[in-house]
Amino acid sequence: MKKTHIVLIIIVAVLIGAIMVMFKDAGTYAGFALAENNQGEEFTVIGYLDKDAEMHFNPKKTLFSFTATDKQGNVSKVYYNQPKPQDFERSEEITMKGFATDTAFIAHEILMKCPSKYNEQNEMAGNSDSYTE
Amino acid sequence: MEYIGEHIWAGELGRIAVAAALTSALLSVFAFWQAEKKPEWKPLGRIAFVVHAVSVFTIVGTLFFMMANHYFEYDYVWKHTSLDLPPRYLFSAFWEGQEGSFLLWMFWHAVLGLILLFTTKKWTGPVIGTIAAVQAFLSSMVLGVYVFGAKIGMSPFILVREMPENIGLPWTEFADYLTKFPSFLDGSGLNPLLQNYWMTIHPPTLFLGFASTIVPFAFAIGALLRKDYKGWIKPALPWAFFSVMILGTGILMGGAWAYEALSFGGFWAWDPVENSSLVPWLTMIAGAHLILIQKNRGGVLPSSFFLSILSFLLVLYSTFLTRSGVLGDSSVHAFVDLGLSGQLLIYLLFFVIFAFGLLIFRYKKIPKPKKEEAMNSREFWLFVGSMVFLLSSLQITISTSMPVFNQLFGPEGVWPLYEANKNIANPIEHFNSFQIPFAIIITALVAIGQYLTYRSTNTKAFYKKIMASSALSVVVSIIIALVFDFTNPIYILLIFTSSFAIIGNADYWLRVGKGNIKLAGSSIAHIGFGLVILGALISNGSKNIISQNSSFIHEEFPANENLLIEENDTVQMGEYWVTYTGERFGTGHESHYNYYGLEFYKENEQLALVHEFTLNPSIQKNERMGNVPEPDTRHFLSSDIYTHVTYADMRTPEEIKSEWQDEIEFALEKGEQKLIYDNIMVSLDSVMADARQNEDGTFAFIALAAQLSITGIADSIVHVTPLYVVQNNEASTMDAELLEYGLKFQLSGIDQQSNKPLLKAWRQKKEEQPFILIQAIIFPMINLLWAGCILMAIGTVIAIWQRVKGKKTSKI
Repeated sequence: MKKTHIVLIIIVAVLIGAIMVMFKDAGTYAGFALAENNQGEEFTVIGYLDKDAEMHFNPKKTLFSFTATDKQGNVSKVYYNQPKPQDFERSEEITMKGFATDTAFIAHEILMKCPSKYNEQNEMAGNSDSYTE
Repeated sequence: MEYIGEHIWAGELGRIAVAAALTSALLSVFAFWQAEKKPEWKPLGRIAFVVHAVSVFTIVGTLFFMMANHYFEYDYVWKHTSLDLPPRYLFSAFWEGQEGSFLLWMFWHAVLGLILLFTTKKWTGPVIGTIAAVQAFLSSMVLGVYVFGAKIGMSPFILVREMPENIGLPWTEFADYLTKFPSFLDGSGLNPLLQNYWMTIHPPTLFLGFASTIVPFAFAIGALLRKDYKGWIKPALPWAFFSVMILGTGILMGGAWAYEALSFGGFWAWDPVENSSLVPWLTMIAGAHLILIQKNRGGVLPSSFFLSILSFLLVLYSTFLTRSGVLGDSSVHAFVDLGLSGQLLIYLLFFVIFAFGLLIFRYKKIPKPKKEEAMNSREFWLFVGSMVFLLSSLQITISTSMPVFNQLFGPEGVWPLYEANKNIANPIEHFNSFQIPFAIIITALVAIGQYLTYRSTNTKAFYKKIMASSALSVVVSIIIALVFDFTNPIYILLIFTSSFAIIGNADYWLRVGKGNIKLAGSSIAHIGFGLVILGALISNGSKNIISQNSSFIHEEFPANENLLIEENDTVQMGEYWVTYTGERFGTGHESHYNYYGLEFYKENEQLALVHEFTLNPSIQKNERMGNVPEPDTRHFLSSDIYTHVTYADMRTPEEIKSEWQDEIEFALEKGEQKLIYDNIMVSLDSVMADARQNEDGTFAFIALAAQLSITGIADSIVHVTPLYVVQNNEASTMDAELLEYGLKFQLSGIDQQSNKPLLKAWRQKKEEQPFILIQAIIFPMINLLWAGCILMAIGTVIAIWQRVKGKKTSKI
């Protein structure tokens, strides 16, 4: 066998390994229900902040807790061991990476989507009244 | 209707230039294609390309002029600039949007194309033809026309009133809308996050890097089309290394920006957008080295073709990833989808199928070596190294493409294979688990590569030569591991191989090469590469988060890395004592910043605190992206101290104080007393009622008043009277505030069962010391990384210069 062929075989083998490891290292997008049925397993839940429920941030312990509703409508308490993200109240959508326990979802990473004031164009389109006399 | 105050000519000029750029690019492709058989077509191809380049410069110039002069009637200008934008950020504003960044890319292609037009001789036709073909596609990305209902491109020369969402709106009926409506007097401005000096130089450098990958690609495609499989190697070689140099510089500038201006907590986070700029660089390094072997020894033509083509296609792929909206949730800085993803996908597929199809079609004809390289030859190990770079880039590409896999094989995918969309749970660990072993192999090869000779290496001489540097590297890496407390054997191995790469190359150049300038380029570049890896490893592997907080919520979670400091308080962080001196508001162009003053002290031998330095991390009040913390870093020669504010209450003290909280509800009988909040006694003295009846007997209004006596700690009694009013069947309350006690009372109704008045009370937040949470990280030896970057760039420039100079002298 030629050396270049051996190199090629190694490349293909490593790439197959890379794909397998990728799926092993991948978390799953899910709702709270699935996360609660597989406690301790890594999931990514996309949900919305429950703005009426209590939201508490203890800066001394850097513990932030809030209530979120996922896309299926399931509600869960979420604990986040990081400072409360800026403008959290304004968030439209929250992506939470973490795992579920008996009582709550423990997030280790939170990303959020905020509505931006940038949509002034939409404002112009929507509330066109405010621009006419 | 004649609109007043619009600068229609600018948009017209821009659009004409786009159309001219597109047609001249197509004409140039056609002419150069004809010229392969009929040389008389060649001048037309050249002229067409020059016209194309001039058109591109006109587009860029026009848009820039419009932005500099604040023509806010244009959507792109309105969206990306504002009157108060400092002129130095006009460039950043230009390429903030997708359209502008496409133009920047086209601009560099045009510049590179012009240089090639006048420097290449034999290869002008296929090379410029290929570039012109790519330019035709890119021009159509800023075309902005609808063909049978499909949108082709997005023009930066559209008026706000011409935007599809605005057509027919009432304000467009006014001829003087520009002066009539305040929103047109000023643009919405540049995203403050991009108002950073790195953002004026990082994108153009990176895009020049992206653009430069087209040169080896164009040579490779030209060679395949012409069936002249070897002639392209020599002219393409300096361009391949040019591309390596510029792309590398651009990527590292991005890292520097992230480190200086973003709160990633480092310079690299394996973010999809970062990854997609890194990947073509890795393949280009592999490609450039393969072209080098091919030129010196031959035998690697197929892989030279493959990697030259792949690098450019990966640039296209990363364009697709970052601009199609596929990345969506997974990256902070992907562009918004302009509805062009379909068009981008078609272009990507076209070039992938065309280029790889051509390579496969011609593959049999590409000359291959008759004899295999020997295992102890330099070319064999250079080849192996290139393949490791290829693997490294493919691994990053595959894992970054997770969102693409979801679109293809996810539950809503084209071909559903799995039930729920997936993402990489912990990208940093995931990528490191592959890339660190790759880095070990690469740095080891970099270390010994120079000592190997082409054809075959004399084993004895080889070991003799590397003896000194390898022994020294062992000593150095043991010292590094001990000083920086490394225990992980994989990391220690990487410390060794990267130290070996640095020392080995220095030794080779000074001892074996006797400091010859001809060998300087590659040696310096390789020393730089070793330093980058070593600096990245030490600064990240032994970074010290000195803002440790011992509380955690779950044993699997790391202890908290944010520390609370109250104003004027001093806390210990590592070897420092840090005082938070308070919040300061920026002024002028910095008025959207809040700065948080941190004074760093160190204890001296007499146990007295000595002031060392001041840091002012800030929070940017960014209306588009929410508030964004911006770090502040103190640079020392051997380490950096990096701080950023992870939490600050952005409300004013009045706002914080005015918030009523701790609501309690209770019912009281006349004469009854109740103790609330542990130290306030409330008693109901009397309830008064007033009502007025309408003529038909219904009540016009009913008012109830509860007279309360409040006894505080001081035993002084004060009276408050909250009211409950029903007017026209609508209930409302008039609350009584007792600010000296920080209390508020409400009469919220009458309890249905006991018939007692229902009362509610709130109290104000106790005045508390303002505080912030900060994270402080020491990055040791991060200067090795930056020094390495600079050496890598300098070394590559020297190597290219030597080649180009050598080429000229050999001609004489």
